[in-house]
Amino acid sequence: LESYIRIPKGQSAPGKPEIMRCRSPEKETFTCWWKPGSDGGLPTNYTLNYYKEGEELINECPDYKTAGPNSCYFDKKHTSLWTIYNITVKATNRMGSSISDPHYVDVTYIVQPDPPMNVIPAVGIQDGKPYLLVKWSPPPLADVRSGWLTLIYELRLKTEGEEWETFLVGQQTQYKIFSLNPGNKYIVQVHCKPDHHGAWSEWSQEKYIQLPSDFRMKDLIVWIF
Amino acid sequence: CPSGSVNCQVSLGELFDRAVKLSHYIHFLSSEMFNEFDERYAQGRGFITKAVNGCHTASLTTPEDKEQAQQIHHEDLLNLVLGVLRSWNDPLLHLVTEVQRIKEAPNTILWKAAEIEEQNKRLLEGMEKIVGRVQPGDTGNEVYSRWSGLPSLQLADEDSRLFAFYNLLHCLRRDSHKIDNYLKLLKCRLIHDSNC
Repeated sequence: LESYIRIPKGQSAPGKPEIMRCRSPEKETFTCWWKPGSDGGLPTNYTLNYYKEGEELINECPDYKTAGPNSCYFDKKHTSLWTIYNITVKATNRMGSSISDPHYVDVTYIVQPDPPMNVIPAVGIQDGKPYLLVKWSPPPLADVRSGWLTLIYELRLKTEGEEWETFLVGQQTQYKIFSLNPGNKYIVQVHCKPDHHGAWSEWSQEKYIQLPSDFRMKDLIVWIF
Repeated sequence: CPSGSVNCQVSLGELFDRAVKLSHYIHFLSSEMFNEFDERYAQGRGFITKAVNGCHTASLTTPEDKEQAQQIHHEDLLNLVLGVLRSWNDPLLHLVTEVQRIKEAPNTILWKAAEIEEQNKRLLEGMEKIVGRVQPGDTGNEVYSRWSGLPSLQLADEDSRLFAFYNLLHCLRRDSHKIDNYLKLLKCRLIHDSNC
């Protein structure tokens, strides 16, 4: 039978695409990325189809552009929570087509926020000893004010050449660290994740803070009679 | 009664704090229980592909995104939470019994099922208090979904029975997250004027 099929040299139907991952930065939109298989040496077209739990309708990706090549962006209108999306990617060229394995996604479980912003370390003094006070803001896309998304934070710091020391902060957007070494220069970073599911964000940009080595005590003395 | 308090009543803010702590805890337990079950009994059986459209609470129309959740009136959202909670009373009661019959069910799963059942009742009581405070006089007219899944938890065929458990735990994880999410939203809206 094979002898009847004439395949031009080096050309074939596309290989099977693979859906790599889906991520939502704020529990309101999400993006899925796929890895194309071989293109069979021909111009190959990719379509992403999905259907949602509770709906019969098969839909096509609403936006192939916003999130770059080999991706599909689901805007707010196309994003539901507590609903399983069954997603497949189909590669098609002149010689044929091939479909990825289905990928099952519930947006609830794929939230990975952007890193926190405006991380500001400052030095304070309590009982004549220096402490580090770090403040930050939630990532701009995350709507934590309305309560739709609740984030928890982790902070880490180190001095040059030392290992990171990590502190689980909880929901606050500031943290005090005592018992640091005066005179040292510290590097500080913060990251965040949703309170239940999802993944930690990347770490925020490194911020540096120099602790003073000498504290003038005169303003701090409390006279007790 | 602490001195200086008026009417000796717990504030609405305090009631919400307690409710949110409970709902957070219940969802935490539900997730752990689902994960443990999934790892131990569901590997390679492709249950997720069948777990679509299978939650008994699917008939309750609940907000599925932020906009929907923000547009719904807080009294209606509170009643929805009550409805979902009430819909779980019966299945949780049976889950505690039936889970004991799973072959070699680890104690951690048994314990969690019992704890969730217990805490769900407490949360329901708390929510009734909150609803009574927010809309006095108007009680108990919320809809809830009946569960008819007991026979499926008792099926003779092991694969079908395990799938029934998988599906129930998947739905529990989903609904407990919904409730936790709605309560956190309501707390920010009613107590902190949407500025959490």
